[in-house]
Parts: sequence; structure tokens; C-alpha cells
Amino acid sequence: MSRTQLRIAGGTVHDPANEVDGEVRDICVEDGRIVSHLPDGAPSLDARGMIVMPGGVDIHSHLASSSCNHARRLLPEEHSADPAPAPEVREGSGSRSGTGGTVPTTFTTGYRYAGLGYTTAFEAAVAPLMARQSHAELEDTPCLDSGFYVLMGNDEYLLRQIASGEQNRARDYAAWLIGSTGGYAIKIVNPGGIEAWKSGQRNLSGLDDALAGSGVTPRAILETIADAGNDLRLPHPVHIHCNNLGMPGNSAVTLATMQALAGRRAHFTHLQFHSYGGPGWSSGARPVIEYVNSHEEVSVDVGQVMFGPATTITADGPVEYLLHQSSGRKWVNIDIELETGCGIVPLVYKDKAAVSALQWAVGLELFLLSGDPWRVVLSTDHPNGGSFLSYPALIQLLMDRSVRDERLKQVNPKLLAGSPLADGLTREYTLNEIAVVTRAGPARLLGLQQKGHLGPGADADITIYSRDDDIAKMFATPRYVIKGGALVVEEGQLRRAPAGRRIRLQPGYDEAFLPDLRRHFEAYSTVSFENYAVQGISDDPIPLSS
Amino acid sequence: MSPAGRTEHVTCLGCGCGCDDITVAVAEGRIVDASPSCPIGRAWFGDGTLPSEVLRGGRPASVDEAISEAATVLVGAAGRCLVYLAPDLTTQAQRMAVAIADLLRGTVDSATSGTAATGLLAAQRRGRAGATLGEIRNRADALMFWAVDPAQRYPRYLQRYALEPVGTHVPKGRAGRFVIAVSVGAEQALKGADLTLELEPGEEITALSLMRASVQGRSVSSKVSPRLTQAVEIAARLARAKYAVLVHDAESTVEGRDSLRVEALIALTQALNEPTRAALSSLRAGGNRPGAESVLTWQTGYPFAVDYSRGFPRYTPAERGLDRLAGGAFKAVLVVGSPDLEQSAQETLSAVSSLAIGPRASQAAFKTRVAIDTGVAGIHEGGTAYRMDEVPLPLRPPLSGARSTTDTLRALTDAIRRELGRIGA
Repeated sequence: MSRTQLRIAGGTVHDPANEVDGEVRDICVEDGRIVSHLPDGAPSLDARGMIVMPGGVDIHSHLASSSCNHARRLLPEEHSADPAPAPEVREGSGSRSGTGGTVPTTFTTGYRYAGLGYTTAFEAAVAPLMARQSHAELEDTPCLDSGFYVLMGNDEYLLRQIASGEQNRARDYAAWLIGSTGGYAIKIVNPGGIEAWKSGQRNLSGLDDALAGSGVTPRAILETIADAGNDLRLPHPVHIHCNNLGMPGNSAVTLATMQALAGRRAHFTHLQFHSYGGPGWSSGARPVIEYVNSHEEVSVDVGQVMFGPATTITADGPVEYLLHQSSGRKWVNIDIELETGCGIVPLVYKDKAAVSALQWAVGLELFLLSGDPWRVVLSTDHPNGGSFLSYPALIQLLMDRSVRDERLKQVNPKLLAGSPLADGLTREYTLNEIAVVTRAGPARLLGLQQKGHLGPGADADITIYSRDDDIAKMFATPRYVIKGGALVVEEGQLRRAPAGRRIRLQPGYDEAFLPDLRRHFEAYSTVSFENYAVQGISDDPIPLSS
Repeated sequence: MSPAGRTEHVTCLGCGCGCDDITVAVAEGRIVDASPSCPIGRAWFGDGTLPSEVLRGGRPASVDEAISEAATVLVGAAGRCLVYLAPDLTTQAQRMAVAIADLLRGTVDSATSGTAATGLLAAQRRGRAGATLGEIRNRADALMFWAVDPAQRYPRYLQRYALEPVGTHVPKGRAGRFVIAVSVGAEQALKGADLTLELEPGEEITALSLMRASVQGRSVSSKVSPRLTQAVEIAARLARAKYAVLVHDAESTVEGRDSLRVEALIALTQALNEPTRAALSSLRAGGNRPGAESVLTWQTGYPFAVDYSRGFPRYTPAERGLDRLAGGAFKAVLVVGSPDLEQSAQETLSAVSSLAIGPRASQAAFKTRVAIDTGVAGIHEGGTAYRMDEVPLPLRPPLSGARSTTDTLRALTDAIRRELGRIGA
């Protein structure tokens, strides 16, 4: 970025990746990177009395995809209620107006993330066929370095390889797909279940339920793809949305999935939606988080539910159909050829609704019973559990027991009897733990060596907060946000809106399988093989460590 | 590439099918063959020759002069200008045109509002159950064509997507698909179906309602007319399929078509997802129209009819941009893309300061203050365009050398910024 120097002087620094916990020290920035020293007389920003952290890193968000755009289109009423005039930026190529709601427009998404002190975010679910759209949307999402996860595990070609035991070909295909789409990691959503939904089987619920026809099971899908991700040495292991999302009793399949992959690196996403006891609705958080705590190879993001409006957007088509049936709300389903699905239902989590209250409690239980903040990181599965704009309120619930207990008194207690939260959880997150679950932890889980910390060589993505007894207010309104060395937020106002970089990979693979893949395209795809890969992505892929 | 040679895997935007298997042969700077092709594709590619004029006040001018004039006109009309996204634009050009509207607090509208708005509004009320075209190809074992014969306006739809191909779940191709043709008055469905039904226009919505009721498990009285009884039987046949696809023409070109049709089709398709799986295929015209909707949605939250005059996007779906133009709402209009607008719009466009940037802008049927000829997305310009099912496809232009729309719009944006800076706005 800019050929400039900046000393952030005298702030109280929380940089857990470098074992700095609330020490007063200077942070030096030069040419968009953190450096160890600057000469005397370098420009200085007085941060005395303020809290300095790395810029936030969102490991799981739905912000830029064809599915997000279907959701935007479905919600004109939300957009009308939340107009977003263009911020008054000082330099650069100007700024854009937009609209908000649970699924804001792209420019507004970038500005609002930056306004919260977030400088990196990953779109969590991109159908490969639609990857071009995600790149275009991310180009129009300023202030954020970003990338996306590529949906696999219900794709016809991969299922065929699994059915015929072609593990190596499955791995090569996964590598090819990440490189062709410009993606960063592998995402599995409801392994096998989306194909079941599309082929009339409706869904798969157990790990050993088989897809009619091929006989492929969720277990085989999970094992094959997790191995592929680890064999390819992807910086972020396979990112898994388990079977049975949102169903009572689903903690059993969640635990079974973790056990099936025991010993393999794997990330389990929006764990809250997969941690319910059964057979009726109850909390299943404790056994799930205890498993996570005792297995170093497992990481999770929570997917907290926050009360208020949300929009559920997922490739998990069968879940959205059930949500549409039970809620009566409007519903979009798009089946995406040879690959995956897309379902959307807008809804509201109400504190007086028993299931919403349970979901809220389960998320908090996962956080409060977590034994390792580096492996249990913050998300709301934006906008599924709530908007990213609710992160400050969530942080307050984690840091302030009195606020949490007061809120607990207001929610429908019907399904909370015997739950850990109702029985009393006294833990309060420290500022350093918040810095872990919102920055350092996600960056480490993503394998991003230049993000989530303030050591020399890191990207100069920095958030500076004015201390405030109101934790939610403090985290909602950072005083300064620096992105790649540029002052994006000054005195709480967005002042610059630099373009972000794409964070993507191009893993190597054995090209011997390409003729077979081409034959598959020619037989079944409606897009030419030659037209499939996304071209012209501006940023180079990140090199993979050998 | 030009001036001679062959370009393979070219995407055709002649209709919304987005066939990307075209090989285009060029000789002496002209397209001499495009195959496999269809009548619409052949007409769309033509020989690829275009005028390359730059006009200011109807007289030849330099590009710089024309852009400077356009910027002055648009800035003078800030808050009261219309940016109209006509067909034949890349998605990249559409993004730049919407940015210009935002910068000028203008209004943006597109070809969509005049043709496909009804379906988009219905989907905003209800949602929808859809699929990409490949799902139809690979899964559809029952198809109901509702008042449409795709062969007329979407010539390769049946061959590439809906009827003939062998699919992953339809190994017998056409023989594995049960085809139902429902005609509504003069709107005839395709020929050669396995089952046909002819409805009067006045019966259409009742038929769709009864079909939905029966799919939802309600018993339908035997006292309804024989035609309606047959419609209910068709619904039962669709419900017995493994993957039912309903096909309709989402571009309303027929006077008097019931505006409730599309919403009734959406509702029926959604309901069919209880007993089986079903998707509605909405046929759309070409020139990257769905791209305009997609871009507008991610940049404004709304797919068409967006008004920036208050400094943020507002949705005005009940008032088409061109209708507001006729009502005197705008001082200037920037038409981007192929300026083949409807007759009534051409008269009002001639009465305001009209600027045209796009293929054959210099030959626009309305009077232009500025006209800059540029290339056609997909023939002369690379980038991205959307198929009718909103799958984004790359464009491989077989010809080069035409003035780029995106470069022209970029220059215009810069000129507008300079002009805004000069007047201190």
C-alpha cells in the first residue's frame, strides 16, 4: 500500500499470537507491513490509553456469492429500511452508496466490516460454477482482504471417484477445483445430503446412510475429502458443515463425524447449529465441546445465534425446505448442476421463542465451555445466526457475566432446563481471549501467516479501540482502523476505502485425470470445460509451503 | 482472433441460453461462420461489422470531445438523469454504468423493467424454486411447457438443456422424459409433447390454482370443467415424477398475458417440492440482461428500477425509468448498450439530452447529444455475461478492434469526476 511510516504510540497492545497481553508498546508500520523499528521522527498516532489489536479476521461469513445475491434480491423490504449513503472518503477512487439489512450490498458490507475493525473475511460457501460471481462481488467489497471456500462433497464427479475408490483422483480433482475457481479452502456442506435432496431421497441423516445408486456414504465423503485437504497441505483444513443441521439430537451425528475423522485436521463450522440434544430439543453442547477440547486436531467456529432478524443462506437445500415449511416464510431453492444446492429463508430469532432461546444458549455454552480459544473461534455464520454487526453484542455477552445473566432472564426458559447456561456459567472472556477468537485464532486456523498478529512482517491491519465500560459500544466503534497501512477509519469515521486483495491458492496436482474430467464435462455439463476456470483474477495465488 | 482465424468455445448471447460451444470463423475481419448455431445466433453474430463513429451534436468528434460533452451534460443533470442499461453489455460495463448513476444521484433502469419485471417481483414476494439449466438436462424426467415453445425464441434450449440430452439421472434422454404442453389461448406450447392441454386465457390462473391445491393434497371437485380436471391430472403426473421442471417464457412479449401467471407458476413449483422435487425454468432473452439484474442487486440490493436521487438506492419498481422519462423526470439520459429501445421511448429520448454509448450508438433511432460506437459484449468485448439461469460465463470475443465499452465508461467516469471537482460539487 502506501509508502508511508506510522508509529502507533503508547497503546495497550493485545497481540496474542506474539504473546503480548495488554502491554503498553509502540507498533510500527512501514509500507503496509509491521516493522520492528522506525526512525525517530516518523509520523506518530497517539494511542495512549487505547487498546490496540490486529484487524479482525472472519473465518466464516456469507458475504459474496450467487447465493448471497439471491438473498439480497429476496429482501427489498430490508434494504428499504436500511439505506446506506456513500461514506465521505478523503482519497482514492471514491465510495459507493448501498443498502443494508441482514445481507447488505457489497460496498456497504466492506465499509461496515471495516467500521467494526475487521480487515479480512472469508466467504464460506461458493458453488464452483458460480465462482466468477464471487470474484466480481469481492472486487466490489472494499476494505477487506478476502477469499472463499469451494463447495465439495455433493458434486457428481467427486462422488463418482469416491464410489470407485479413486482417492488420488479425488485429491487431484479437489486441487484442480480450488485452483480453477480461485478458492482458498474446501467446504463440505451436508455431505451427500444435498445430492440426496436433488435426487428425490430428500436427505441423509446418518454417517452410514448411503446415496441411492452410488452407495456413497457421508462417512466416505468426509474421509476422502479430509484426506485430500491434508494431503494437499492446504493451509486451512477441510471446513465442514455436518449432516442434520438444525435438527434436535444432531449432536450425535456431529460427534460421530468428529470421531470418523479422528486424527485428521478438520474444521467444524457453525457448531452451535450442530449441538442439540435429543430426541426433543435440548442442549447437546457439553459433550460436543468436551470432544473438541480434548482433540487438538479439531477446530471450530461457533455460529452464534443472536436475537433479531437473520437470513438463512446455505447450500444445504433440504434444511431450508424444512425451515420454509415450519416457518411459513418465503423460500428460495436453486439446484446447481453437478455440484450443490442453494436455499434461502429469512427469519427472526425471538427471545420469547423456545428454540431460538435454546440456540442462543447453546452457542454461548460452546464459547464458555471451550478449553482453547485458539480452536473455538467467533462467528455468527453471518447472516444465518445474525449479522456480523452483532459481533460487539456477542463479545459483550462473553466478557460480561452480569449482562449475560440479565439477558438469560428475559429469554424463553422452556428448553433450557438442565442446560449448562441455565445451571450457571461464570466464565468471562478476557480482552486477550477476545483478540484470540476474533483475530489471532481465525488467522492461525486459516494458515494466514501475515494476518491476525502484529509482529514484524505481518500485514499492517490494526484496530484501535477507545476504552469504554460498555464493551459492546467499544467493539462497535473502533477509533482507528488501519488496513494494509492505510488509515481506513479515523476518529470513528470511515475515511478511506482501499480495494482488498484476493487470498487464493493454486495447489499442484497430477494432470493425468484431466482427460477423464473433460469427458465428464462433455457428457453432462452445460458449460464447456474450457470455459469453466475463472481467468483474470488480479492477485497471485499464495504459494503453498512444501 | 481477427482479422482471420477461428475462436472456439465462444459464448453466444443471442438469447438467454448462453450456448458456449460456438466456433466462430473470421476472415478479413468479418465473421464468416458460427457453428453450431441457430437462427437467432446467426443474426446476433452477423458478420461482426459495426460502425465506429463518435458523434457530438450529430457531427463527428474526437472521443475526448464527446466524453467531455457527455460529462458536462450528465453533471448538469445530476439528480435528474437516467442511466439505462440496454442489452449487449459485459457485466464489467454494467458495473461501471451503475457506478456512474451512483456518482450522479441518477436513476438506473434496464431492459428488465420492460419485460421481466413481473417475474422478479413475484419472486420477491414468494421466493422461488429454480435450478440451473444443467439440472434440467441431468434430472428432469417430467417437463411442463406452459404457453411456450422454446424453439421459437430460444432455439437450442430443447436440444442442449431440456429434452434431448442424456443426463446423469436421465440415461435415455428424450425417451426418459415425459413432456406436457399446455397452451393458453394463442400462446401455443411446444409440439410433439406426450400430453397436451389447451386452456382459454380466462381459465389459466384457476387451472394453476387447482393444480397447486391438488398437489397440496386437497381434493378437487369433480364439478370443474373437463379441461380443469385434466390440469389437475397433469399436476398429479408432475408430482409422480422424480424431478419435475416447469418452463415458461419470462419475457412478456404478449399483450394481455395474465400478470398473475408467473406467481401462480412459482407457487405451483414450490408446492411440488413436497411430494417430489421441482424447479421452474424462466426463459430469458439475451444480451446479458440477467447480468444487469445481478450487478444491480449486489450494488444496490434491487434488481432493476433503482433511484439514487437521495444519495442511496431506492427501489421504484412500479415506475419504469422510461415511463418516468416520458413524465419529464429527467433532463439527461445515458443509454449504455445496444440502443434498440421501444418506439415510445425513442420519442421522449429525442426531447431530452440523450447520450448513447454502445454498439451502433451512432445509428440510434433517437436524437443524441453524444453517441459513441463501441463493441458488442461477446463479439468484440471480453468479460463476463450471465445465462438465463444466472450462471456467469466468460466471453471470448472472436473479433477485436472495436472501441471498448468499459474503457469508454471508465473515461467518462474520470471526466465526470473532473467536472464535479471543477464545479465543486
